[in-house]
Order: sequence, then structure tokens, then C-alpha cells
Amino acid sequence: MEIHEFRNRVFAFGKASGLEEMEIYFSRSKSFSTRVFQKEVDSYNVSAAQGVGFRARFAGKVGYAYAETLDQDSVELLVEGAKANAQIIDSEDEIEFFAGSSSYPEVIAYNPDLETVSAEDKIAFARELEAEAFAADERVSMVNWAATGYSESEVYIANTKGLEESFRRNGAYGVVAALVREEEQVKNGRRIVFGNDWSLFDAKKLAQEAVQEGTSLLGADSVHSGDYPILLRHDVAYGLLETFAPVFSAESVQKGLSLLAGKLGEEIASAKVTLVDDPLLKNGGASAPFDGEGVATRKKNVIEQGKLVTFLHNLKTARKDGVESTGNASRASFKSPVGISPANFFIEPGEKSFDELVEALDRGIIIIDVQGLHSGANPVSGDFSLGAYGYLVEQGRVVRPVDQITVAGNFFKLLAAVEEVGSDLQFGAPGHQGHIGSPSLIIKSLSVAGM
Amino acid sequence: MLAESLVTDVLLAALSTGGDFAEFFMEDTRGTTLRMLNGALEEGVSGRDYGVGIRIFQGFRSVYAYTNDASRNNLLKVAREAAAALSGAPQLTEIVLNRLTVENFNPVLLEPGKVAHSDKAAVMKRAHLAAAGYDDQITQVSVSYMDTDQNVLIANSEGTFIEDRRVRTRLGINAVASKGSEKQSAFRGPGRHMGFEMFEQIDVEEVARDAARSAVTMVNAEYAPSGKYPVIIDNEFGGVIFHEACGHGLEATSVAKGASVFSGKLGQQVASPLVTAVDDGTIPNAWGSQNVDDEGTSTRRNVLIKDGILQGYMIDKLNARRMGMEPTGSSRRQSYKFAPTSRMTNTFICAGQSTKEEIISNTEYALYARHMGGGSVNPGTGEFNFAVAEGYIVRNGKIEKPVRGGTLIGQGSEVLQKIDMVASNLATGQGMCGSLSGSIPTDVGQPTIRVSEITVGGRKEAN
Repeated sequence: MEIHEFRNRVFAFGKASGLEEMEIYFSRSKSFSTRVFQKEVDSYNVSAAQGVGFRARFAGKVGYAYAETLDQDSVELLVEGAKANAQIIDSEDEIEFFAGSSSYPEVIAYNPDLETVSAEDKIAFARELEAEAFAADERVSMVNWAATGYSESEVYIANTKGLEESFRRNGAYGVVAALVREEEQVKNGRRIVFGNDWSLFDAKKLAQEAVQEGTSLLGADSVHSGDYPILLRHDVAYGLLETFAPVFSAESVQKGLSLLAGKLGEEIASAKVTLVDDPLLKNGGASAPFDGEGVATRKKNVIEQGKLVTFLHNLKTARKDGVESTGNASRASFKSPVGISPANFFIEPGEKSFDELVEALDRGIIIIDVQGLHSGANPVSGDFSLGAYGYLVEQGRVVRPVDQITVAGNFFKLLAAVEEVGSDLQFGAPGHQGHIGSPSLIIKSLSVAGM
Repeated sequence: MLAESLVTDVLLAALSTGGDFAEFFMEDTRGTTLRMLNGALEEGVSGRDYGVGIRIFQGFRSVYAYTNDASRNNLLKVAREAAAALSGAPQLTEIVLNRLTVENFNPVLLEPGKVAHSDKAAVMKRAHLAAAGYDDQITQVSVSYMDTDQNVLIANSEGTFIEDRRVRTRLGINAVASKGSEKQSAFRGPGRHMGFEMFEQIDVEEVARDAARSAVTMVNAEYAPSGKYPVIIDNEFGGVIFHEACGHGLEATSVAKGASVFSGKLGQQVASPLVTAVDDGTIPNAWGSQNVDDEGTSTRRNVLIKDGILQGYMIDKLNARRMGMEPTGSSRRQSYKFAPTSRMTNTFICAGQSTKEEIISNTEYALYARHMGGGSVNPGTGEFNFAVAEGYIVRNGKIEKPVRGGTLIGQGSEVLQKIDMVASNLATGQGMCGSLSGSIPTDVGQPTIRVSEITVGGRKEAN
């Protein structure tokens, strides 16, 4: 069944079943990915999938249901499921079904040219990644990832208050990872590129950078435990920001799960830090004209020169705090209830290049990767303790690679301890929790455990 | 779910361009998730996942395609699209499917779909009350309830045609303790491959109080000291160390391509002689158990390491080809949206001879990790890390004081060799394991063990 027809049937059946307000959130996606191993196409994946999320108010409470097929069975499953779920809710939160914003921004995140890149071209790209990685250095013992993928998705939201909006985006990625070996030591180097402009995908550059990173780590050893000045490379910095992004959600604040509660208007970070959420960024991985509740999105600073300016809101949290929604309602997927997440969320870049930051660090450790963000970081307390590796810097120069260390600290203290912000803003993988970016950052000091 | 004749036609379409093996995986899953915050039920979601995955092999190559549309025309179209990735003359032109009956060793007594939502909410409320009432320092309790009822049809060009059902139930309790501006949280998440009767088998209040106790202990603890020193890791979820540090490196996904530190080491001493470890998907009603794996192969008890000697790997069909070995019933996937690959089921270190008390009383100085958080590993280099959720310092044979914020890092193969005491109190804990074929339920487990030294990342006392 086609989606508009399906929507009409669900709303009609829901009305007859006593549902007071209803909303459907439909998403449809297509994807392709391929991986090359030892010159052969190792895997080749294609998909076409869809799903519909439904929420409805019954006797004042809201329940959710979802399905992946648009048929009469699903009409009944959605209506009956949401009704049953509404009946057990005892939260007193008021949930609003939104009639629509007066206007929506123009946002571009779909590139029609990307759709025309053939499967053969993508396979050729993955082959080139592998070949260039082997060519880059004779110590490359294996290229364990040489892959590329494409996806496009479309969301459609409509409710019984008259809201009806849709949006689509596409994107591609390339990834290469190589193992390099010298005597008994094995190191890993990895690079990923995301975007929706295929002409910017440079296999040779990506492969060389991955290998160069791997070889640069050969001969790594630990350091003596102690407090060190730290340079967090951009990818480590955005990894930390992504992990701790929930502390900026008004939902976390209202639930007592963010230590930023009560700190609006206060200095919570170094004056060098401005944190931006920009859903309008051209071709941003999380760009969209409306959020998960159909509210028009807008650009805003969350931290402005160190000062906490706003939390991220959806309609429910905004109503509780007596403010406007910031347009940050999220639906991680059609299966997920409405939550909150940033869109394109990044620390505004400064002036210094990465090399200038190394010089400015003078003596300390550059961290280029951390492990265990999903387990060794606590978004509630802000504490983190993570496996890490990188380079030791003395007199403003890299002197040797470092591994087998952990780096520990607290996210809130880290924000206040930012001494320099680089110019090298980069974004990570776009995900359900937004598209997070950061330049490299010098942190006054973190605790390092090693020998 | 679907007629054999349709499945046969789809498999033949998939093999039309020279593939030598084709597989059909259909899934119809119903599930419910409920969330409660501070005693109030906040969210209820129920739904149905439905789709088909088609996989084709040609030698070591694999092609995977999935769709939500299970109509005959669409399935044939998707099969042909997938086949278009390969080229060659058809090698198989006839398939005879043999419907096999699965022996069900994971009985379900109370189907979640037939249990009223209000009964599910009542269990959550009990958990909330037990945790919230444990101590004044508990400032927040969130409880989640999840059930899934997955029905699958797995067929392939070798003639397999199997239907299986997997019903799983899990309760999650997260307790937050506060002291001044500090907060610490603790999570417990018991789960089983069974229905609502799970709540007759586990003591909901006991589990909830344990989460609260852990959070309160940690909010009052100082930071763990950094350094390289002995670590005692407790049983149950402590087994995540083996899961991360070794289990992933024993999956054919990394072994077959020579990307694992355990590649080519069968028959060699890879661990302390005190270590015997197995992956066993056949334990009735255990969280990670399945009657058959997601390729339709019967699950089994796979001995991975015996007395420190590497005995075997966990192998799926595709990697079995690369390795020239048999599949081990270890192929799993989150859903039809993922091609399956070798994964763990219920993985644990077997019971040894010591007691936990002996281990502690024989230890001069160590970090005692009573409860572990999650972790991860790079199978290529074997480097792992994981978080100690609840730790203590052991000094002169006695538990001295609680410590928080410790992280263990190291090399899986080195840690295995350094296990110098193994207790007899084997127990398991439940987790969700994320890897190539998605997020799947797995049990981890072990008795209390001692490792002679691990690098502990902690922090000096904040002054």
C-alpha cells in the first residue's frame, strides 16, 4: 500500500477506535555497500527498507507502535498497539502533537549526482583503496578494510493536526584500515571519509594517510604515569563530544541526569569554546528542515565563548521549562519514541593549524585514538577513563609513538581546561545522535596511566 | 511462513548467475519495550519487524540483499538484483528442500504477547521500589522491560528448510546515587531466552537492590590508583574480560583472514593451564542460546581453550570455506538487515579449583573488580580495554576499600597467560554484543579469577 493511502486508513481506523490524536513517522531507505579483500569483491550488499512509527493519544496518554509493512494487518497492529501502550502510561508529562511551523528553512542534503555513481565505480574505489594501501609501505601486512557504501533515505511525518512534511538526504562513505607489522609489533591505521560529493573521495590520499598513521605507531611504548598536557586530535575530540552530548539535552537535565542543571548563563567552558548546533549546514550529515516532531530547525550556539546559552529542547521539555522548542526532537528510527539529539553539532574552529598546536603543546602527549567510549565514559558524572595511543611531544616536536596508556579525566573539567582550539574542524560518522564535529584541542592536563 | 515452492524459486533466481550457494532468511518479530522513570511508566512501544534477507556465495565472495516486501514478485526481483553482482553460468538448477523440525530446548511457558502490559509494568514497579528504597543516596531509578518474539525461516540451496522461534525477555535497572554534585550509576540487566516466567526464576528485588548498593558504594568511593598490578575479577559479568580480550579474536570473522592474534595457533598454548573456556549455545533458556544458529546449523558446545591449549574457533559457513573447516553453529545476526557471521553465544571460562575467599586471602595487593562495565577490543592487535564498574582495593588478604573509575587495558593473549588463580564459582551475566552482524544477546561468564598484572588506568586522588 502506498504511504498516503496507509496514513488515511490508520487515521480512520484509529479515530473509530477512540484515539484522540495520531501521528505517523515514515522512513524509507536504500543502501549499497561493498568490501574488497585481496583484490576480490568480498561482500556486496543492497537493501531497500521502510518502516512506519505511530504514536497516538488515548484517554490523555500517548502510546507508540511500529511496523515494517504497509498492509491492513499493520493498520490494526499500530492502532491497537499504541492504544494498549497508552493505557499503561502514568507519567504526567504533556505531549503535544504539533500543527506545523509557519515556515521551514531551505536545507540541501541530497545530491542527485551521487545517485549516478555506478556499483562498478564504487567497487573500483574499494579496490583502489586496497591497492594504494599496499603500495604505500612494504610493512603493510594486511588491508583488513577497503570498503565503500552509499545510502539514501526519506522521512515523511504527518499527523491529525494537519502537519505533513517530508525530506530526503543521501551520503556515501569510504573506509580503509591497514595492519602494519615490524618484527613482532602489529599496528593499525584507519581512515574514513563521509560526504555526498563523490568527486572529493580520494582513494590514494585516504589509503596513504591510513598506512602512514599505522607505521608512525611502530615502536610505540608506554609512558610513565602522571599528569600530562594533552593535544586531543579532532577525531578524539569529537568522539568525546559525541559521548557526552546527552548532557546538553533538556531531557537529561530535567531527569536529573546532567550536571549542567541550573547552569544556564554560567561559564562552563574555557572562553575559547563556542559549541554550535547547525541543522542548516549544506550537505551536513544531520541537516534537516524539521525535527522529529515536525518543528522547524534553526542554528544556535549552545556554548558561546564558554557560557552555557541553551539546552537542546523538544516540545515536551520546552513546555516544562517555559521556553520554545529548539527544534531538536529526534527519532533515532521509526521505531523510537521522540527524544532529543543535536543535529550538526560542533566546536567552532580557531586559528591554529594542527602543526602549530603541536608546537604550542611544547611538552605532552598527542592522543590520536581512544578505546572504550561506550564503556569507560560516564555521561552522568562526566568521568572518563579510556585506553589511548598517540605520540609523545617534547620541545614542540613529536619524539615517539605511545601506546598502552589510559587517559582519565572529567568532561566538564575538560571543557574548562581547553587552552587552544585548532582550525582543523572535522566531523565523524553521521549517526542517530547527530553529526558531531570538532577541531583538535589542547587540554591543560589529563591524568595518564602507563608504566 | 512461506511455501517451500516460493523459497525454491527465490533461491534458484539467486543462483542464476553462477552462485554456488544461496540462503533465504525470513523474520517476523514482535516486541515490546517499556520504560519507567522514578516509578512512573513513561514510554511504551510495541511493534513488528518483518523482512527477508537473501545471501549468495560464489567461492569466497558473498552478496547480501534485504527487503521488507515479501511478495513473490519482489523477492524474485531482489534475488535477481543480488545475483547481478556475480557472473557465470548457473551451477545449480534444482533444489530439493527438506523441512526439518527443530528440537526446542528453550521452552517458553508464558508467551510475552499473551501477558497483559499491566503485569509487565507491575514487575518494573517492584524493581523500582526495591532500588529506590535501598538508601537515601539513591536519587533516581530507571527501569526498562523488553520482550521479543522472533520467528524465523531459514532455507538454503543445500536443502535446509527450518523454522525456529526465539523468545527473549530482559529487565534493566539503572540506579543513580548522588552525593553533593557527584553522581554514580549502576546497571543490572538480567535476561533469558524465555517468556514472562523469567520473573518466577529471578529475584527482582534482589537484583534491584544490588544495582542500588553498587551505585551507593561507588558514589562514596575514591578513584582507583593507576599502575600495573594484580587484578581479581569476580564471576558473572566479569566474564566480559574473556569475551572482549579473547572471544572476539576466536571468531572466524577475524581468524579466517589472518587478522587475529589467534590465527594459526590451534594446538598451541595460548593461555595459562588453569584456563578452559567454551562457547555453548545449547544451555536451555540461557540469554545467548538458540536452537539453531542464523544459518540453520544446530548450535553446540564448542570448546575454545582446554587447559590453556587452543582447541577451536567459532565458525560460520562463509569463513568455513576460507578456513577449510566445518561451521560450528556460531553464525548469528541482529535481524534480516544483517548478513550473519561468526559470533559468540554463551561464552565462559570454566570453573577451577580455588575459592573466591582463597583468592582474596592469598593476595597482598590488587584491584578487586567486583562488577565490570563494558569493553571493546581491536581483534587485529588484540588490544582491549574495559571499565571496572565496581572496584575495591585488596590489601594483605582483605578487602580494604571501594574504588571507582578504573579501566583495564592490555593485550588479550598476554592476560590469558597471566591468569594465576581460578575459583569454582562459575556464573554468567547478560549483555548485548555489537559487531559486524549487528547487536545480539550474549551471555558472558567465569568464576572469580586473578590476573597477576594488568595496566589499570585510574587517577590519583583529586586534591
